[in-house]
Amino acid sequence: MQSKLSKSAMVAAALTIGVQAAPASAEDLSYQQVTDMLHVVMDTDRSVYTKNVVARLAAKEKVIKASEYFEDDKALPLPAQMFRFGAEGVADKTDAFSYSLLSLWPINKQNAPKTDLEKEGLQFIVDNPGENFYGEEELGGETYFTAVYPDVAVAEVCASCHNGHKDTPRDDFELDDVMGGVVIRIPTDS
Amino acid sequence: MGGAAVAAWMLVGGDRTALLPDATTGVHHQFEVACETCHAAKPFSTEKKTIKALNKTCYTCHDDELKASSDSHPRKKFRDPRMADYWEKIDARLCTSCHIEHKPEITRPGAVTLAMDYCVACHSEGKQDVRVNRPSHAGLEFDTCATAGCHNFHDNRALYEDFLVKHADQPWLNGQAPVHALQAISWETSEPPKTALARADAIAPSEKLTDEALDHWAASGHATGGVNCAGCHAPEAPEQVAMADLALQWSEAPEMKTCWGCHKEEAKAFRVGRHGMRSHPKIAKPRKTSKQFKALGWKGAEDSLPEQMLAWLEDASPPPQMTVAEARLPMKREAHGETLSCGSCHQPHSVDRREASVEACASCHADEHTTAYFDSSHYRLWKAEVAGEAPAGSGVSCATCHMPKVEGRRGDVIAAHNQNEFLRPNEKMIRPVCMDCHGLGFAIDALADADLVARNFQGRPAAHIDSIDWAVRRVKTGEQGANQ
Repeated sequence: MQSKLSKSAMVAAALTIGVQAAPASAEDLSYQQVTDMLHVVMDTDRSVYTKNVVARLAAKEKVIKASEYFEDDKALPLPAQMFRFGAEGVADKTDAFSYSLLSLWPINKQNAPKTDLEKEGLQFIVDNPGENFYGEEELGGETYFTAVYPDVAVAEVCASCHNGHKDTPRDDFELDDVMGGVVIRIPTDS
Repeated sequence: MGGAAVAAWMLVGGDRTALLPDATTGVHHQFEVACETCHAAKPFSTEKKTIKALNKTCYTCHDDELKASSDSHPRKKFRDPRMADYWEKIDARLCTSCHIEHKPEITRPGAVTLAMDYCVACHSEGKQDVRVNRPSHAGLEFDTCATAGCHNFHDNRALYEDFLVKHADQPWLNGQAPVHALQAISWETSEPPKTALARADAIAPSEKLTDEALDHWAASGHATGGVNCAGCHAPEAPEQVAMADLALQWSEAPEMKTCWGCHKEEAKAFRVGRHGMRSHPKIAKPRKTSKQFKALGWKGAEDSLPEQMLAWLEDASPPPQMTVAEARLPMKREAHGETLSCGSCHQPHSVDRREASVEACASCHADEHTTAYFDSSHYRLWKAEVAGEAPAGSGVSCATCHMPKVEGRRGDVIAAHNQNEFLRPNEKMIRPVCMDCHGLGFAIDALADADLVARNFQGRPAAHIDSIDWAVRRVKTGEQGANQ
């Protein structure tokens, strides 16, 4: 679990956090440290979009809607879509890591946990507020370091939209609730 | 000897038609002898690399179309390792999981080479079990998912639930005299710009300045747009050129590349469309014998071969333009000698740009749908528009549906030249074409009725597709799914 970070993952991490060169102690970085770093960036960007764009423009100032069908509705992409588009864009550029936003109560069933580790990790972060979950799993013949981070309702609009959606399996979310988890994977074989 | 010949064809050069395993799908026959167009991996590559390279080439032509379709099952969705258990069922990261070439005996509509109940692989268990999520689907078999009007694997722009609900109450016809707005704009006549040229402005060698040519050119869009004779007939000639030099550079029949110089967007689409794919820049060029020998470590081997052997090792390449005679659709016998270029449909000197919308199509196509068009309501509307008896954009030509007017990248209105974007599955046409005039429900029913399509929509749909009714019932009445 604490094995040394592969070169490709290290480069990907460096690119993602926006530094020009790997830090002096890069040789000592563990997979967990890398996923933690990646998550800080993801979580911060996600929070900024949710609060400063969607919550401000759609919920507070009501100048534009946020919609799942944002192209048809000339609206803002939903925060979860914004996150997914980023993950798909990263997957176009590198296989060094992948990430997704999942939930035990997904509106889109595709975002329900599939692997045993996802199920265990998502339940863990709900049962242990403030804690992350780390593990190792084999998928498609490859071994992955997998980290699961709590995804919290950072704005009232997160809870209200999910509670009111026709396909939600849960309608009692509140501000600061853990609504799901960010799952980050790094292949450890390569 | 036979084995040596096959090896030579595969590794060095020569006509490989005899090696084609079987007929290719759809219009791929247009470049099937240029094997490397699809089989892009180097000889002796690993199986993984070979398949990867093969699949990459699909996107050479189909990428824009897939992006425009808001692909419901994009490759990127399946690359995440969490989808690994799906890879075992149907590996949707690869086009070839569902579309295998050279397999005519198992090729089904949409070029699908799986059994048509393929949805069962992923949507029959767990959270994705559609029979649990949608009570309305409980008694349905999986080979009916892709029934016209219900679901497509890639393009569901007009079929997704919220869209169905939003357009559930539309009448069959939108008002008494609906129009195709972009078509109306494209035919609008406005004041000629100051740069427009008149009959007297034509500059060409005197023998070319016939009354007929002058009359037609002066009334054409090219003159209105300020394009003088040399713009097409001597495009390389300098602006100030002596008439004698202009005559030397004169081309009686300008090449397609001349048209493409100005009509860039149309050209790009034409070259991935069914009429112009022979000129696609990514179609593999014929292999060079010397280069092939060098790659095999036999540099210069061609120097010791007799002429006849070298000729035998020369690659066959598809002709630069498709001919009507090669088409697999029913075509008029008298058109068989025609090749497909810009000039096949467009007469650059013609006053009437609308000829390319009906007459040009019908001069070659002879299938039931095309023949029936001339007895259809759509054609009557078109004739009325052309005669000036009905508003611009109210007519329905062949091009209205299959090569509709769309907004170009510069905000102008152009004709879509890649027919694939508006052809199959035919629900692709619902939003950009049908719904200009018809309600969603009618459009879905009409396109699902194959006989009605063949009759070019003379009559009413014979059956009703339930998708809108089911979607409305679930959303408006709160029919419960497994998720709730």
